[in-house]
Amino acid sequence: MAAVSVAAEWQLLYNRYYRKPEIYSMQWGRMDLTRHRVACAPFGGPIAVIRDDSKIVQLYAESARRKLHIFNSAGVLLASTVWDRPGGRLVGMAWTDDHVLVCVVQDGTVYRYDVHAEICAPQFSMGKECFEQSVVECVFWGNGMVCLTEGNRIFCVSDFKNPKPCKLADPALEDYPLCVAVIEPQYTMHGNVEVLLGVGDHVLAVEEDSVQQLGAGVDPLQKMAVSPNGKYLAAFTHDGRLLVIPTDFSRIISEYSCESTLPPEQIAWCGMDSVLLYWEDMLLMVGPTGDPVRYLYDEPIILIPEGDGVRILSNSVMEFLQRVPDSTVSIFQIGSTRPAALLYDALEHFDRRSAKADENLRMIRASLPEAVKACIDAAGHEFDVSRQCTLLRAASYGRAFCSQFPRDYFQDMCKTLRVLNAVRNHEIGIPLSIQQYKLLTTPVLIGRLINVYHHLLALQISEYLNLNPEVVIMHWACTKISASSSINDTDLLEILLDKLKLCKGISYAEIAAHADNSGRRKLAAMLIDHERRSSKQVPLLLSIGEEDTALVKATESGDNDLVYLVVFHIWQKKMPLDFFGTINARPLARDLFIMYARCYKHEFLKDFFLSTGQLQDVAFLLLKESWELEMNLLANKGSPLQGPRIRLIEQAQKLFSETKEQNFESKAAEEHAKLLRLQHELEVSTKQAIFVGSSISDTIRTCIVLGNHRAATRVRAEFKVSDKRWYWLKAFALATVRDWDSLEKFSKEKRPPGGYKPFVEACIDADDKTEALKYISKLTDPREKSEVSIHMHFVKCETFFIAYSGSVLNVILIFL
Amino acid sequence: MAQIPNLDNSPINLSSIREQSQKELLNILKNVRGKKCLVIDPKLGGSLSLLIQTSLLKENGAELRHLSAEPIQTECSKVMYLIRSQLNLMKFISSHIQNDLSKGLQKEYFVYFVPRRTVVCEKVFEEEKVHHLITFGEYPLYIMPLDEDVLSCELDHTFRECLIDGDTSSLWHVGKAIHKLEFSFGVIPNVRAKGKGSAKIVDILNSLQAEEPVNSSDMGTPEINTLILIDREVDMVTPMCFQLTYEGLLDEIVQVNNGAVEVDASVIGTQQDGKKIKIPLNSSDKLYKEIRDLHFEEVVQVLRERATSMQKDYADVKSTSQSVSELKDFVKKLNSLPEIARHVSLAQHLQTFTCKPSFHSRLDIEQTILELQNYDLCFEYIEEMIHKQEPIIHVFRLLVLLSVSNSGLPKKSFDYLRREILHSYGFEHMPTLYNLEKAGLVKRQESKSNWLMISKALQLIPSESEAANPNDISYIFSGYAPLSIRLVQHAIRSGWRSIEEILKLLPGPHLDLKRGGSTSGSAIDRVPSFQSNLDRVTDGHRALVLVVFVGGVTFAEIAALRFLSSQDGMGYDFIIGTTKIINGNTVLESIISTN
Repeated sequence: MAAVSVAAEWQLLYNRYYRKPEIYSMQWGRMDLTRHRVACAPFGGPIAVIRDDSKIVQLYAESARRKLHIFNSAGVLLASTVWDRPGGRLVGMAWTDDHVLVCVVQDGTVYRYDVHAEICAPQFSMGKECFEQSVVECVFWGNGMVCLTEGNRIFCVSDFKNPKPCKLADPALEDYPLCVAVIEPQYTMHGNVEVLLGVGDHVLAVEEDSVQQLGAGVDPLQKMAVSPNGKYLAAFTHDGRLLVIPTDFSRIISEYSCESTLPPEQIAWCGMDSVLLYWEDMLLMVGPTGDPVRYLYDEPIILIPEGDGVRILSNSVMEFLQRVPDSTVSIFQIGSTRPAALLYDALEHFDRRSAKADENLRMIRASLPEAVKACIDAAGHEFDVSRQCTLLRAASYGRAFCSQFPRDYFQDMCKTLRVLNAVRNHEIGIPLSIQQYKLLTTPVLIGRLINVYHHLLALQISEYLNLNPEVVIMHWACTKISASSSINDTDLLEILLDKLKLCKGISYAEIAAHADNSGRRKLAAMLIDHERRSSKQVPLLLSIGEEDTALVKATESGDNDLVYLVVFHIWQKKMPLDFFGTINARPLARDLFIMYARCYKHEFLKDFFLSTGQLQDVAFLLLKESWELEMNLLANKGSPLQGPRIRLIEQAQKLFSETKEQNFESKAAEEHAKLLRLQHELEVSTKQAIFVGSSISDTIRTCIVLGNHRAATRVRAEFKVSDKRWYWLKAFALATVRDWDSLEKFSKEKRPPGGYKPFVEACIDADDKTEALKYISKLTDPREKSEVSIHMHFVKCETFFIAYSGSVLNVILIFL
Repeated sequence: MAQIPNLDNSPINLSSIREQSQKELLNILKNVRGKKCLVIDPKLGGSLSLLIQTSLLKENGAELRHLSAEPIQTECSKVMYLIRSQLNLMKFISSHIQNDLSKGLQKEYFVYFVPRRTVVCEKVFEEEKVHHLITFGEYPLYIMPLDEDVLSCELDHTFRECLIDGDTSSLWHVGKAIHKLEFSFGVIPNVRAKGKGSAKIVDILNSLQAEEPVNSSDMGTPEINTLILIDREVDMVTPMCFQLTYEGLLDEIVQVNNGAVEVDASVIGTQQDGKKIKIPLNSSDKLYKEIRDLHFEEVVQVLRERATSMQKDYADVKSTSQSVSELKDFVKKLNSLPEIARHVSLAQHLQTFTCKPSFHSRLDIEQTILELQNYDLCFEYIEEMIHKQEPIIHVFRLLVLLSVSNSGLPKKSFDYLRREILHSYGFEHMPTLYNLEKAGLVKRQESKSNWLMISKALQLIPSESEAANPNDISYIFSGYAPLSIRLVQHAIRSGWRSIEEILKLLPGPHLDLKRGGSTSGSAIDRVPSFQSNLDRVTDGHRALVLVVFVGGVTFAEIAALRFLSSQDGMGYDFIIGTTKIINGNTVLESIISTN
């Protein structure tokens, strides 16, 4: 039975099974790990290899210059470069979470490479002390690192994205520590990294501002490793014992005495359940109790801890050591009678057309869903595709008999497996387990794929999983631009557009910005043209110096904020006259500029109008100045001199007279100046400052009210006031001062040109009905007559309403 | 009764929009920790009174002030400005800060722009060298409910800015506001627009949709079926006519501001003289909801009936032959007494104006102008107003009406009237005249008027026989059906196509389009003609039409729309959107005030 052979590959440690399938045979040809310094990224990431300069090694047919090689997990070469960095020996090399290869050399300089073996960020130094003391050792985690110097000082970079080296508290050591480990910031109380140093018979926990002694008397520790959850420490003592202790050193959880007191070369946690110790030729897996498992190796290996196991890299193969998942155990354990095992067995019978299949199913009828789920889960944990298939077929077979089983669960697993199998292909070389994949998340995986230029696969995965392909296409486009320096702009644009149209709403502006940064301004301009979001398009156009296009686009967008952005940009860049010219050709930009200038740049606005020949607008500005002058005069009760005002108005008049269209305004301004002079004279002669600022009609009325009929007549003549208006003004003015005799005299001067209506209304306005009656009889127009009589009755109507509503109010008042 | 209107009866969930705006505002307040002095620009403060109780602002540690040129006196070390992004307000803030600096006061300044930060406003701070002292933020309040069927962007100067200053910023604002509504209610599938501004808004709306798509697939069917956009410029006749509905008249005579009027206490019958009383007016007041849109004459009748029936009931009660349950009914009725009393007082106050003969002669002359019958009579009437120096705003209203309906004034009377205006009211009105001409409101006649043609084709002025028809909106102005509303009526009934020729006579382009998300294609197939979709009330579901007036709407027009939807057989409800509630005076005032 096939099932037996599966379990035959397992090893039992305490009560748990472990397996160690081979996932790749390495593609890198002849390789000797012992001669090299190797950095492997977790989550099936890339492997960086460089000849170890701390060892004396024999050179074969190779250049004496050291080369940095980057491989994927299957040993396929991704990139290589000559290592020619100054600063001494390479003391630390590791991958960050973002797949940046960090290389630290002796003098504390840190170089950063991407997966293409290109410098991807500027180098930085760990500081003067590191430079002076030399770095000896580095310990990395996620995105950070601590390094120890020969002077036994500790320095830390907590985030390589924003590298700010800082010094941790001084542990005041005389000798270099026996071993070092770090607890990642995410697992410490205070959120800062904690460094554990094995010193003498105890451990020092060093933080930014404190040093704490832990586990006094625990025996000198030769090697330490912190568990994946940051809670436990596996430590190898000088007398050959492996201890597992909580990181607060409160107790010893388990202890195992090894045969050798020689400290292992490597120590690593395999999940949370066991610890691996590696000496040359032998890998020892120690569980909580019971006998450890021994694996023998005749070639050097490197342990790569993952969250759910350890990858083991040797010169020729990559293996994955993991605890066998429960669902897999329940199916393949020898002699298992769990429902899942019976279901799997049933499928085999079914394939052989044996009736036993039915028998099996009957036995597990009640727990069929559980069995189906286990088969699906187990399929997910398999690296072997044919075994995945068989397990899924078993699940599918069982599902046919339990309709209530959620369909999605099966489908989702199939989708996940397709993705996993695709990225596990050795060309891609990302051997993720399903647990790692879930922890990593799809977007991050896609990010890693595009990072190594597997755009097509990334796009396929995005589409397959219904994710927005924008990230992928965007990255592709930018990469394409960088890589296509030999393709001319038009062709490249076509190539890009062909793909970009796949993704609606993609930001052309961002790609254009990249093109601009890559020195392809023309391509950038062509790309921006396709951007639909004006708010992104316009600023970019400005940054590549396409002001005119920016102005057009901003205008079209309907968003005046963008227009202002462009206007201010041009204003700053150009000489005023140029600026005026540009602005004047664009009505919206011009009008917006004028709006702003009206509020805050009065003089500049005048220049603008003058230089663009809008003389009437200048004239209006001058008039405004003159009125503001008046307001100020009024406010300050200052000098009554009207000189400056009149001068402004006259200037305005001159400007108005330049064009025929402004004939009316020109005349008005002329009269305005004349009026001011006249009012000034009146104020001087009457010694009353009540004329300036009033209209011609008001001036006439004021004169009459003051009894100065001569002045009134003069104003009338000066401004050719019509008879009609004159009668209204005079009648009202006389009625205001209740000079009824003069009013009557006035009415008899001659037949009024507009009839007697002004007299009637003036009297009514002054609330004198008897006087009004005098003139009502003289009204000739029947319409006017009737209107006036309504007016006389109006009081009655009002009284009626008040009387009526009063009664309502009475009702209300009674009840309130 | 609260000034914040009750929105429960709204045909669409406006409460959620208001709640969101409230929450955003409170969050902004919470962002600035501790005690702070909140300085609000007064216009915005007025609008906010319809949104949130001031006590809530105070609860969040805010000391309230109004923005003015005067420096702010406060103990708080944090000063928070909440202002519309309007240019002229910036100088106040920068002068406040400079004033503090000169006194050596160190404060933290926060400026929150409504609805968003703008380059030009920040430019002012840069020029004044205070930009680095300010933390900027945004309060994205683009539109807010004024009542259960009215939404406003609270933009005061849209009309002036678009037609005179050439500043079209408010169009973007309106576009954004509608787009925001679409996020709540789905992409509006049918759009009809008339006028330059409206067409531009449709453009903006489409590009906003392209930039930040409203995902129509997760929204289900859109709640708003049709969007009708109309520029104020298309119909300047209607706002110039004196409004005769109760609400319209209140606005014309005592000014309705932010859903309330302020009147002398004596008007309301209380004895404290000289004190002003604020009376909220919205649909929460049941009686008001009933009478707000009626012609004022009818309102007087309704109130009289109510009062008499109350009086009768009272008499019955006094006769003591009532049963207990009858008494109970009576007491119930008494609850409405304060409402009746309030409106009787207001109506009485209005009547003191409507009784005047000048009021009637003004209505007469409006009608004469609209009928285009006797130019000379109209001309002389306006001339006389100028000679009598009646309030200039009244002169302009009639002048605009005359000019618009006649497609301008003959050169001779144009120049003559302008000169008489300058002589009577002062030369300071030169820019006003220039602006009115620029906006095309009072201009020289250049072509023959087509007003009669429009009026006839759209039946704006019903003949004597039709005037009796109680189902027509012409009751609103005692014999003039508002042009804008007639356009809406046609737009809903059969689209623009049937009145294409008339639309060409009115300013600006018109357009008619279908839009929507990915599902729009099938939606169109399912609804072969718009008409069948709207006019027939299927499964009791009423279609919803959003009518947006770009540049403002009058209460009379709102009344007309409400009247339309209340007619039998009309299967749609209206939501009215506007940049601001206006009347003839407020529109002209924004043009007259030169700064």
